[in-house]
Amino acid sequence: MGLFDKLAAWLGLKKEVNVLCLGLDNSGKTTIINQLKPANAQAQDIVPTIGFSIEKFKTSSLSFTVFDMSGQGRYRNLWEHYYKEGQAIIFVIDSVDKLRMVVAKEELDTLLNHPDIKHRRIPILFFANKMDVRDALSSVKVSQLLCLANIKDKPWHICATDALKGEGLQEGVDWLQDQIKTMRT
Amino acid sequence: MSESSLLDLPSGLVAFFMDLHEPRIPAVAVASGPCVYVYKNLRPYFKFTLPGLRVNTLEQDVWRQVREGQIDPLTLKEMLESVRKTADVPLSVRSLRFLSLDPDDMDDFVQLHKQQPIRRQTVITCIGTLKKSTADEDGVSCLVIGTESCDVFVLDPEAFIILSTMSLPAPPTMMDVTGQFDVEFRITVACRNGNIYILRRESEKPKYCIELSSHPVGLVRVGKNVVVGCADESLQGFTQKGKKLWTVLLPAPITTMASMELPTRGLQAVLVGLANCEVQLYRDKSLLSSIKTPEVVSSICFGRYGREDGTLIMTTKDGGLIVNILKRTASFEDRAAAAGPPLAQSVRLNVPKKTKLYVDQTLRERESGAAMHRAFQMDLSRLRLAAAGAYVKALESSLTPMSCRLSEPLKMNAVVQGLGPAFKLTLNVQNTAACRPVANLAVSFLYDESLYRMRTPYMRIPLLVPGVVYPVETFVECSSDKGISDIIKVFVLQEGSSAPLLSAHINMPVSEGLTIN
Ligand SMILES: Nc1nc2c(ncn2[C@@H]2O[C@H](COP(=O)(O)OP(=O)(O)O)[C@@H](O)[C@H]2O)c(=O)[nH]1
Ligand SMILES: [Mg+2]
Repeated sequence: MGLFDKLAAWLGLKKEVNVLCLGLDNSGKTTIINQLKPANAQAQDIVPTIGFSIEKFKTSSLSFTVFDMSGQGRYRNLWEHYYKEGQAIIFVIDSVDKLRMVVAKEELDTLLNHPDIKHRRIPILFFANKMDVRDALSSVKVSQLLCLANIKDKPWHICATDALKGEGLQEGVDWLQDQIKTMRT
Repeated sequence: MSESSLLDLPSGLVAFFMDLHEPRIPAVAVASGPCVYVYKNLRPYFKFTLPGLRVNTLEQDVWRQVREGQIDPLTLKEMLESVRKTADVPLSVRSLRFLSLDPDDMDDFVQLHKQQPIRRQTVITCIGTLKKSTADEDGVSCLVIGTESCDVFVLDPEAFIILSTMSLPAPPTMMDVTGQFDVEFRITVACRNGNIYILRRESEKPKYCIELSSHPVGLVRVGKNVVVGCADESLQGFTQKGKKLWTVLLPAPITTMASMELPTRGLQAVLVGLANCEVQLYRDKSLLSSIKTPEVVSSICFGRYGREDGTLIMTTKDGGLIVNILKRTASFEDRAAAAGPPLAQSVRLNVPKKTKLYVDQTLRERESGAAMHRAFQMDLSRLRLAAAGAYVKALESSLTPMSCRLSEPLKMNAVVQGLGPAFKLTLNVQNTAACRPVANLAVSFLYDESLYRMRTPYMRIPLLVPGVVYPVETFVECSSDKGISDIIKVFVLQEGSSAPLLSAHINMPVSEGLTIN
């Protein structure tokens, strides 16, 4: 590691990264954030989020400020006020809810076309959640339904996750950290 | 998925809460034939059967005689026919069936049925729900059923006994129920006679009646009003007392209707399924939106489905199911281009009160309208005559700058140039004949000699070739310094005739030259 990289890593450690965690209600956002938090801070009972809540926590090299935005229909337009501050996005999808996949796509398209997001190269991490459920869609199928291949101007990555057991989350977070580091150097 | 088969075709289906047990799971009631089948957790739970109707005593007596072997089937047929003609209580289905049989089949039919008592049963035509005592979304509801025998029953949600009976002039076909049974309620029923009746608490007979010009095919309540779809491809709005508010014509016959309410956005509208594979959304009489469907839609339901509040579920004629979810960003605005009167038309004008004069005048007009019309026509004719006379006179005395004589058709206009006191006068004379030239013409001027001096008050005009404009120029000098002006008259004359061919009046401008000095 060159001196320059070390400096960047050091800067990365010091500086907080605002990660927006979005997705429809019931997709598993709160559960995922709870899993990402250090073990001693994890909440046991997850109640439906109303509006949004802010969580701060550190991983091995980055500190996250995560806005868990409620996906409840009538609050969804609250998300937009926080787009400016976001430096990375985690978009959570309920892979079991096939009916509402169109709604998720609609929200994703609205997000990608928002003036505060559209022209920024911010990384987007997709969690195709609830993969443990028997008839859940695969992450490939989810990315097809959401037309992720059409996202050309932003780095993105999708992983299948089981937020209850925490499976698949680490892979995604590692990817996100890499992206944020390269953005800083 | 679970499947339960019914004995008869279903005529209606509703979901309702029948008790206060937790968790709150609604029961499903299916109306079919004379029964209501209630399902809980999609498993059969209870069956309610409509009470039998009164049986004709004469009919009962005749069948008793058959049972006791006193009469044969042919006599039975005769007797039943006479009962059918005279009695006010209709015959049972069994007797009617018997009357329609061939003589060969009668014996078997009588043997098969004579031991059973006669029953007269009606069937359910429509079903609805009515909150018992609270307006809560998950409050306990009564079932409301309409029957072929023109009755409406309200059933207790737990005991399934009849709480209230109301009767209608005709069999009901569609029903909308609102309110609470214990407080105040309103049942709007479309009937097979083409009328809509409005029933209220504590009245056994309809309170209001809406007589439609065409049969109702859809009935939806929006707030306090009722929107009715009619067989003549129209949608009509009524108040809850039956006063008509508006009518819209639709592009195709109606197949089904449903209400679309989004309280969070303050939207109350009506969905109308049409036979041209379209579903239109109306807020009152304005079209908000329309969806094309791959097949004709046979039923529509809008509401919460799973986690989405705004879900539109439609079934199609061929048995398909379409689920649409309302976009979060959808906006419902009246289509500006929608046909109809402009908004300004409905703005009330501040019309002043009628004055006494106005009223008197109106009375006079009403009484002697014919005479007034005649007087007006006479004056108009006089005016036309006077105008024509003046025109003829002008032509005859050549007072116009156009000559219409056939031998010398001429046209002239005059131009005055200069500021004064000297002016240049140019007369443009034209022979408008097709080919004949005009010769021996002269121009003469008539003017106030104390005001103007003219070098040549009389000029000869050269031969006029047809079509060419000849400018004839002369100079006028104003000899007054009073700043006044006058008319100079121009006459075009023909040698040997004292009447001018044409004449013109030139309005001379005020001479500025002298006034400046
Ligand atoms: N089976 C399964 N259930 C999950 C998973 N993630 C979340 N859930 C459940 O989904 C429900 C909604 O989760 P929640 O985190 O509140 O979703 P949010 O509305 O996006 O915050 C909860 O009952 C979770 O227990 C998963 O990976 N698998
Ligand atoms: Mg949440």
